[in-house]
Amino acid sequence: MALLAPLALLSVLLVGPLIVAMYLLKLRREERRVSSTFLWRRMVRDVEANAPWQRLRRNWLLLLQLLLMLLLAIALARPFFLTEGIAGRNLIIIVDRSASMGATDAGTTRLEAAKRQARQLVEQLPDGGRATVIAAGGQMEVLAASTTDQRQVNAAIDGIELRPGGGSDLAPALALAAALSSREAESEVAIISDGNVEVPQDLTMPATVRYFPIGERDGNVAISAMALQPSPAGQTLFIQAANYGSAPVTRRMDVYLDGSLFSAYDLSLPGAVPGAAGEKRAGEQAIIVDVPAQVRVAEARLVEDPQGDALPLDDRGWAVGAADERTAVRIVGPGNRFLETALSLLSSLDVTTVPTTTFTFPETAAEVPVTILDGVVPPVLPPGNLLFINPPRSTEYFSVTGQVEFPALRPAPADIGGQASGLLRNVSVSDVSVLRAARITPGAWARVVVEGNGAPMLMAGERDGRRIVVLAFALQNSDLPLQVAFPLLISNIVGYLAPGSGAEASQLQPDQPLVVSVDPTATEVRVTRPDGRVEPVPIQSGQAVYADTSAVGPYIVEQYNGETLIGRRRFAVNLFAPAESNIEPQADLSIPQASGLQQAVTREQVGRQEFWRWLAALALTVLIIEWLVYQRNGIAFLRDRLRRQWGGGRQQGPGAGSLRRS
Amino acid sequence: MTAPTQPQTQPLFDSAFLRKLDRMALLMRRALPGDVQGERRSPRRGSSVEFSDYRPYTAGDDIRQIDWNLYARMERVFLKMFVAEEELTVHLLVDCTPSMDWGEPNKFLYARRVAGAFGYVALSSLDRVTVSAFGAGRGGVQLPGVRGKAGALPLFSFLQRLSAASPGAPAGSLLDACRRYAHTARNAGPLLLCSDLLDPSWKEALRALTARPFDITLVHVLAPQELRPELDGDFRLIDIEGGAPVEITADLETLRRYEADLREWQAEIESFCSGRGISYIVADTAVPIEDFVLSNLRRRGVVR
Repeated sequence: MALLAPLALLSVLLVGPLIVAMYLLKLRREERRVSSTFLWRRMVRDVEANAPWQRLRRNWLLLLQLLLMLLLAIALARPFFLTEGIAGRNLIIIVDRSASMGATDAGTTRLEAAKRQARQLVEQLPDGGRATVIAAGGQMEVLAASTTDQRQVNAAIDGIELRPGGGSDLAPALALAAALSSREAESEVAIISDGNVEVPQDLTMPATVRYFPIGERDGNVAISAMALQPSPAGQTLFIQAANYGSAPVTRRMDVYLDGSLFSAYDLSLPGAVPGAAGEKRAGEQAIIVDVPAQVRVAEARLVEDPQGDALPLDDRGWAVGAADERTAVRIVGPGNRFLETALSLLSSLDVTTVPTTTFTFPETAAEVPVTILDGVVPPVLPPGNLLFINPPRSTEYFSVTGQVEFPALRPAPADIGGQASGLLRNVSVSDVSVLRAARITPGAWARVVVEGNGAPMLMAGERDGRRIVVLAFALQNSDLPLQVAFPLLISNIVGYLAPGSGAEASQLQPDQPLVVSVDPTATEVRVTRPDGRVEPVPIQSGQAVYADTSAVGPYIVEQYNGETLIGRRRFAVNLFAPAESNIEPQADLSIPQASGLQQAVTREQVGRQEFWRWLAALALTVLIIEWLVYQRNGIAFLRDRLRRQWGGGRQQGPGAGSLRRS
Repeated sequence: MTAPTQPQTQPLFDSAFLRKLDRMALLMRRALPGDVQGERRSPRRGSSVEFSDYRPYTAGDDIRQIDWNLYARMERVFLKMFVAEEELTVHLLVDCTPSMDWGEPNKFLYARRVAGAFGYVALSSLDRVTVSAFGAGRGGVQLPGVRGKAGALPLFSFLQRLSAASPGAPAGSLLDACRRYAHTARNAGPLLLCSDLLDPSWKEALRALTARPFDITLVHVLAPQELRPELDGDFRLIDIEGGAPVEITADLETLRRYEADLREWQAEIESFCSGRGISYIVADTAVPIEDFVLSNLRRRGVVR
C-alpha cells in the first residue's frame, strides 16, 4: 500500500491538536448552584462503580472526532495498493463474449466477471485517460470509442451480452486495437477472456497487451451432436454427449420427445485427454435409439449434477424430425441411373424425371425448388435453383468455350475443405478421373470449388435470387459415380441447392439465420421462438430470413395464406461447438508484441487500486455515529416515549408519584 | 432560580386564605399535658364538664368536689374528678439552612407559609404557638410563644422577618438544632417541622425529636427543580451549603437514575417516619400553598 498524496497526512498534525484543544476548552463544565449535592452525591456513588466505562463514555465524542479526522486525512492522502491492472493512459479493452464466457464457474458467469474486471480497469485509468471497449466474439463491436467519459464506458461495458454462436475469433478486434494503439502513445490493450480464442499469429501488437484470464474450472459436459433421421422403423435419434473436463464424470441425460419425457440415460463419460496434435479430445458417449415416426422435436437434457456443470448453455440439445418435409427435385435429361440412385438415397426428396424435349416449366420455384439439367440447356431456364451437369452450350450465367481432356481435379485454393459452400464436406475429389469436361468461363457470381487444368470443374454461386451449381463433366465420362464420394457430393449439392431440406439443414448454430423458401401464395411468415414468442418474418424475393437465433432451442417457421397454414418447418439451434464447449481457462495468451514479448502480460501488479472512497464512506459512518452519540439524550427520550406508548404508560414521573403519596 | 427572597415585601397570605384557615382546627392524635388552663384535653384531672374518674377522699381535698350522690348510696366519701382542659404549645420548626433558600417557587418561603398557616390554625383554637427557626445561626431564632388570635400578628411578622442563612455562613446542622430543641422545649406538643432534610444526618435529627413525646408532623419541602431536575450537558454542581462539588454529565440516563434515587430516599424517610408515629408529608413547592394546606394537610389528618 502506498499513498498518492502523502502531504495530506500533515493535516492530521494541524487539525488534530485543534480538535483536542477545542475539546479541552469545551470540557470546562458549566457551574450550577444547587440546593445541596446530597442527592447527587448519592447518585454519583452508584455511578462510580463502573467508572472506567463512564470515563470512556465521557471521551466518546473526542475519540470519534479524532477517528473521523484520521479517516479523512488518510482518504485525502489517496492510498492505493498495487493490483493486476493497467498502467497506460489509452486503454483498449477487448471483452470476449463468446459462448464459453457463459460458464458459471466465476461465481457469476465469466462474462459478468469479465465486465467487473473491465470496470475495475476503467476505474484505474488516470484522470483524462481514454478507454475503448471492443466486444469480440461473433461480429466485432466497438461499444465505446476512445472516450474519457467513464460513465459512457461503464454503460458500454454493462451492455455487453453473450454471443453464443459467433465463435471467438480475436483477429478483427486485435487488428483494430493495433491500429488504435499505434496512433497514441502510452496505449495498452487489455484482453479479458477465458483464453479459448483464436489469435492471429501474424499480427504484432504495437502496444503492451495484458491478458486477464477469467474462469477457474474446466468441468463441462455438453451435448455435442444430435440428429433425428428417418429409418425403416420410424426414426433414429442420435445423441452424442462429450465431457470436456479432465475428470471422468457420470451424468444423467433425459430425453424428451415432443415435450414429454421419453427416457433417461446414465452417462459415464471419461475425462478429456490430450490428442495427437496437442488439442484436447473430449470423452464422448453416443446414444442411438429408435423413436416413433411422428416425433417432431427431440430434446436431450443433461440433468444438473452436484459438481456443477460450468456451462449450462450446451447442456441441452434439440433435433427436429424432417419426415414430412419433402423437397421436389426435377431431372431434365435423358435419364441417368447414377444420379437417380444417388438422389433416391436422400429420403426427403421427391424426384421426377422429365424428358429432354420439355421446354416449358409451369411449376413455380416453391413447388419444384431444384431442377437438374443433365446434359441439356433448355431455351428458357426453369425457375428455382439449378444444377447444370455437363452443359452443352452457354447460358446467361456462364459460357462454354470448349472442352478439356483428362483434367486432373483438385479443390480450388480459395475453397479448401469446401468451407464456402459446404459442397466438398467429407468429399475427396483428388482421385477422380475425368475423360472429358466442358471448358466453362464462369460469371463473376461463381465461386470455383473444384478446378481441373485451370478450368472450373465444379462451381457454385448465387445469381438473380437463385442458387446455381455447375458440374462441368458428364457423369458417364468419369469414374466419379463409382466413388464413395459421389452420393455425399450429390447430398451436399442438393443440400446447397435446397437449403432447409433434410435433417442436416434443420440444425443451425446460434446466430446462423433461418432461411426458408416461401411459397408464392404465402402472405405471412411467422417464427415461433424457443421461449414461445411468435414474431413475423419479412419475405424478400421468395425467401424468409430470420436472423435472431442467438437463443438455442427449437424454432418453428410457419407460412400462412391469410389465416390458413400452408407450410411449417422446424429448426433446431444448438451450440454444437467443441471450441466453445471446451471451457478450460487458459493461463496465457501468445500475442507477439512490438516490445519483443511473445506472450500477453498477465498478473503484473501495475494497476493502482485506490480506495479513498471506502475511507470516505467509513468517515461518513463515523460522522453519523458521532451525531447519534451526541444526540443520545434525544434518542433515549424517543425510545422512552415509544416504550411508554407500548407499555401503556405504566411508568410515571417521580413528582407525580410523590405527590400522590403525600 | 436561586434568587433570594425579600421577606419584607412578600406577605405570607392574603386575607381570603386566612378566612378559610379560621374554619380549621388542629387535630391531636393524643392528649398532651399543658401549662395553663386552656381548651385542649389534658391527661391531667381538672375542672371541666367532662367526667373522668372517682377517687377516695383524703384529708385536704376540696370538699366541693365530693360526689354527694355517691356518698348517699355508699356512705363513703369520693371525689368526682373531671378531665382537665389545658392549653397546648404548638411548636413550629422552620429550617433556615441555605439549601432552603433555593428553588422556584422558593422552598424557604413555602416553608414559612406552611408554618404560618399551621400556626394560625393553632392560634385560632386558642393554643400557644412557638416558632423556632434553626440553621440560620448558631442558636437559631425563636419566637417565645404567642397565644390567641392576638398572637397572629406577631407570628406573621416574625415569620416574615425570618431570613435564611447566607450561603457562605457556617450553618448549624439539622441534627444539632433538633437535639437542642428536644432538650429545651418546655412542653411537648404538636410539632411541625418544615425542612428539605437535605442533610446526611436527617435520620438522627428526627430520632432526636422523637425522644420527647412531640406529636410530629414533617413537611418535606422540595422544589420542582429538585424533584425533576432539567439539566443537559456537563455540569459542576456547587453545593450552596458548602459541600463538595459534584461533576456530572447530565443525560437522560443520569436524570432517570437521580429520580429513582430520590424516590428511594423519600420512601426511606416515609418508612422511617411511619415507624415512629411521624406524619410525613411531601410538599412540592410547585403546588400552590392554599391547595397544599386545604387539601393535603386535611387529607393527611393533620388539620380539620
